[in-house]
Amino acid sequence: MNHRGPTTEWHLPDADVQAYAAGGLPEPGCWSLEKHVEACARCAQRVSDAVRTHSPVVARSLDATRSALLARIGAEDRAGSPARAGGTGGRLRPVGSPRIPAADTPRSAHGRTGGRQHPVRAWGARLTWAAGPALGRSWLFSLTLVTVAAVVLARLADAAELRPLLLVAAPLLPVAGVAVSYGRHADPLYETVAATPSAGLRLLLVRTAMVLAVCVPLLTAAGLLMPAQGGSPGAAAWLLPGLALTLLTLVTGSYLGCLRASAVTGTTWPLLLLTAGTTADPGPADLIGRVNHAFANVASGPAQGFWASAALLCGGLLVLRRTSFDQLERL
Amino acid sequence: MRQIPVPRTSPGLSVRGLTVRFRGTTALNDVDLSLGRGVHGLLGPNGAGKTSLLRVLATVARPTEGDVRILGLDPQELGERTEIRRRLGYLPQEFGYYPTYTVREMVTYLAWLKDVPGAQAPAAVERAAERVGLGPALDKKLRTLSGGEIRRVGIAQAVVNEPDLLLLDEPTAGLDPERRLEFRGLLRELGETATVLVSTHLVEDVAAACAEVTLLEAGRPAFRGTPDDLIASAGTDAEAPGDSPLERGYTSALRRHRSERAQEVTA
Repeated sequence: MNHRGPTTEWHLPDADVQAYAAGGLPEPGCWSLEKHVEACARCAQRVSDAVRTHSPVVARSLDATRSALLARIGAEDRAGSPARAGGTGGRLRPVGSPRIPAADTPRSAHGRTGGRQHPVRAWGARLTWAAGPALGRSWLFSLTLVTVAAVVLARLADAAELRPLLLVAAPLLPVAGVAVSYGRHADPLYETVAATPSAGLRLLLVRTAMVLAVCVPLLTAAGLLMPAQGGSPGAAAWLLPGLALTLLTLVTGSYLGCLRASAVTGTTWPLLLLTAGTTADPGPADLIGRVNHAFANVASGPAQGFWASAALLCGGLLVLRRTSFDQLERL
Repeated sequence: MRQIPVPRTSPGLSVRGLTVRFRGTTALNDVDLSLGRGVHGLLGPNGAGKTSLLRVLATVARPTEGDVRILGLDPQELGERTEIRRRLGYLPQEFGYYPTYTVREMVTYLAWLKDVPGAQAPAAVERAAERVGLGPALDKKLRTLSGGEIRRVGIAQAVVNEPDLLLLDEPTAGLDPERRLEFRGLLRELGETATVLVSTHLVEDVAAACAEVTLLEAGRPAFRGTPDDLIASAGTDAEAPGDSPLERGYTSALRRHRSERAQEVTA
């Protein structure tokens, strides 16, 4: 086709364009016009516009053809480049064609699980699911309430001795979260879930990770916001004990089930503090002072090394016990 | 026990010498069973071992003894068990649920747990809900649904991954007669491509939807055959109680099995 053509020298007269669109141009004139629009984009556009205004039926038919063509190109394009297929899973859908409503992908009222989700929303839904019953509203609510109350109280009273109390309680909160995250007692859906490929340690770890993802920032931030005494353990001092106790709960849970395991770890921690508190020679007289002293002992520099190795050990044991979550706790 | 040839177009499942014991009681005692594609009914009185059998087949319980092959795979091996679970649909006797989830969220959650690819999940969820007649209720919260509707959510989650093996424990409990009829239609449809095992205590469900019946009694199979065979088995026992021919067949098969066992014990 001659692209240089007579584009600059001559253009179709308006009368011819209108007559063609209305279907009233004599045949020789039509040939001449069609020959010209093959080469002249400007006149092709004019003819196209005129046809659209004159006969909407033809316009619709043209639109349909265009959409179908775009859809086909889109599909072929995707088939050719798998990297682009990810978004819609290779389902044939036109790209860049806003004229086609996605009638085959009805959305839910919230748009949470519709055909094409907003990626952030989809992730939000995934995270909620991942947590399952672990982040139950009551657990989340009481956790937030306790933390906020502790921060407000400590700041109002400017009581520096309250922070170690929070840090002492902190390792128990993810342990409690694990208790209510997996197992016959905690999850009403348990037996249905147990028959899915995600069951077992995989799902338990996902849920534990969600519990930690809530606990760690919330409690550490709370610790930072509370007034501190000089020389007392930092706001992050609970993290390694917390991690080690959580992993210990998981390992114990592989034998006893999560609920009983949490009870065991939940008692081990205060017993440990009790031991650490009584070893002090001239121990402080009041209870809060004793607790602070005990926590300072179990969260000191050398003790942190112990917690780190305990966490590693429990992690290793968990790998060895990985298949044991996979069957019903007891028939 | 009569043996009926089963078409072996899909591997289905087979158990040999299956025994399940817990807390001193024997739930299943040396059961042999093999099932192929189609709808199979599992009948039996309460405590006969129906639920124990389904739990073992659903890979959620470990057999005490015996050899179990599901879809040609060994559920004792971790990798093979995961593959079985991917192709499995299971409705437990007690289908727990999260009351704050909508039907769509609940079924999508299970689709996600069953590794249904994310791009296919929304369509699969809607199809599953349509199949159990919950299409209009997709965005209702589960706590607003009736017991029968919850049961249908349970069936929808079981079929969402187009399973090759479908295990349903008392699926018709709580369904009204109209829904039961629809459900039997769905069962027949699913049975064309999958191995379906339905435990029920409603004898008429079996007659309407199942190609084959296994009757369990005290942990042992008491009868195996077609529903017509079960009806025919009442022929020799004119005094068998029951309001329908099938019920009479059911009670007479149970009686016969019990008396045979009693003779075994005394012999």
